[in-house]
Amino acid sequence: MRRQIRPWLASNGWLLAAGMLPAIVLIGALLYFTGWVFAFSFTDLELVGRKSIDWSWVGLDNYERLFTRKGFLDSLWTTLIFTLFSAIIGQSVLGFLLATALRGTRGVLRNVVEVSVMLGWLLPDIVAAFLWSATTSKTGLVNNLFVTPFGAAPVNFINDLALQIVIIANIWKGTAWSYLLFVAALDSVPKEVIEAAKVDGASPWQRAWLIVLPMIRTHIATNLLFITIATVTYFALIYAMTGGGPGRQTQVLAIFMYEQSFKIGKLGYGSAISVAMLVIVGVMSLAYIRMLREPK
Amino acid sequence: MDTKPPSRALTIALCFVVLFWVSPFVWLFANAVDPAANGSLRVPTAIGFDNFIDAFSGNAGRQFLNSIYIAAGTATLTVAVAAAAAYPLSRMIIPGKNALLWLLVLLRMLPSTGVIVPLYFSAQATGLLNIFGIIIALTILNLPFTLLLLKNFFDTVPLELEEAAYVDGASLWQIIRQVVMPLSRAGLAVVWFFAFTGAWNEFMLPLIFSRTEAGFPMSVGLYAAFGQNGAIDYGFLAAFSIVYAAPVVVVYFLLRRNLNTGFAGVGVKG
Repeated sequence: MRRQIRPWLASNGWLLAAGMLPAIVLIGALLYFTGWVFAFSFTDLELVGRKSIDWSWVGLDNYERLFTRKGFLDSLWTTLIFTLFSAIIGQSVLGFLLATALRGTRGVLRNVVEVSVMLGWLLPDIVAAFLWSATTSKTGLVNNLFVTPFGAAPVNFINDLALQIVIIANIWKGTAWSYLLFVAALDSVPKEVIEAAKVDGASPWQRAWLIVLPMIRTHIATNLLFITIATVTYFALIYAMTGGGPGRQTQVLAIFMYEQSFKIGKLGYGSAISVAMLVIVGVMSLAYIRMLREPK
Repeated sequence: MDTKPPSRALTIALCFVVLFWVSPFVWLFANAVDPAANGSLRVPTAIGFDNFIDAFSGNAGRQFLNSIYIAAGTATLTVAVAAAAAYPLSRMIIPGKNALLWLLVLLRMLPSTGVIVPLYFSAQATGLLNIFGIIIALTILNLPFTLLLLKNFFDTVPLELEEAAYVDGASLWQIIRQVVMPLSRAGLAVVWFFAFTGAWNEFMLPLIFSRTEAGFPMSVGLYAAFGQNGAIDYGFLAAFSIVYAAPVVVVYFLLRRNLNTGFAGVGVKG
């Protein structure tokens, strides 16, 4: 039935095509820009100065520089650490635990937990960055509550433990997404199956590991896909909290790309970093999509 | 669903979770209403709204308007362009449609950091390093996701209703306005909200695109204010943060029911 062209559509074909036109133009622009990034990455284009007009092709120089100069590999490592601990371990596991713990409960506690976790997620990145850098500073909330009352000297957490603080801030910020997704996932597991396992004597651990997790595997893969892409390319929160510092301790790839492109002005090299990020995201996505596709 | 009360250990653990999430907000409000705030947590010596008045006047007020323009402009433009394309995409037989949809899925995964250099370059070349340029750039970046989402929503609108309207003599325009739109209102609201929050939060693009403090949206304005060295005006920053965060939080809770259904759809179909 659906395959057939409907008369009210067929007589207005041109109108519908005209409706699609703006979207086609903008999608085309996006494709064109993507192509442009690849082209830029083979040039020595710069933001200002002579090479902003009089640039030339430099072949694979920019890509060679990724692996020979300091910076890129360090940033890649920082990004992987940040993604592993804040997104995959932090947000995903905490989101799953919260969803499991609150499954089947109703009432005030659940609402309070949900709303407070959601508030972190709804907050603009820069507000979260301000909150976390202010509360973890030398005179901030954490010192006021946990350090100075016990007579210890205040610690400048945001400077001394920058990467750890950024990771905690991102867990605080992003867990709601995983939580909501896992709530939806757990709702899709029929209660009868859990009950049957309970009757057969499966422990809570066995029920989670052998029944629930395999049943929601596609949800897990979807969740990991989204949060990994978002976290690997995350810029605002970290940049506003630390600017990539102290030194280069929190310089993730997005910050490295921004610094090289717009602070130092090497747009060609910046484009090569962008391409590398696209490749990393692409490889990770393929891995998760395979996980989605595998037969049950 | 059974409504068993959670065990005591679980309740205590959940209370800690709440504490972890809520304590920064307590700090934020305590500082925002204290005209003499100094960044520490204390009961305000006096309660006043001076900080909020500052957060709405001068450059701060202009930045609020800039953020509104950018977010509402991006959301409206994105939804209009995407809806006009998603309806034919959902209803018509187009050669290569599946390939097109896969292309959209791939583009949707494309990180915005990946194309920021060409975006900047073409905006510079066309004189669009301003709010209008930010709106267009964000619309381009949002479009693949929005298009996919709306196509999925239009797929769920039953064809039979449109058929009935056609038999009753309705034109295409009437069918779209009086049958399709009312039925996909939830979908449109979700998509509009996503685009609005995305643009409202956006930081990197305006950081690169805006030239003057008067042209900053609130994200860049807040960053510039607390990035400045010297004495930090915690009271002002806290009030400014609340003003900046409030619209998205309020809109979310207004649209909450719609969003949760829409959200589940996004998660599963991704």
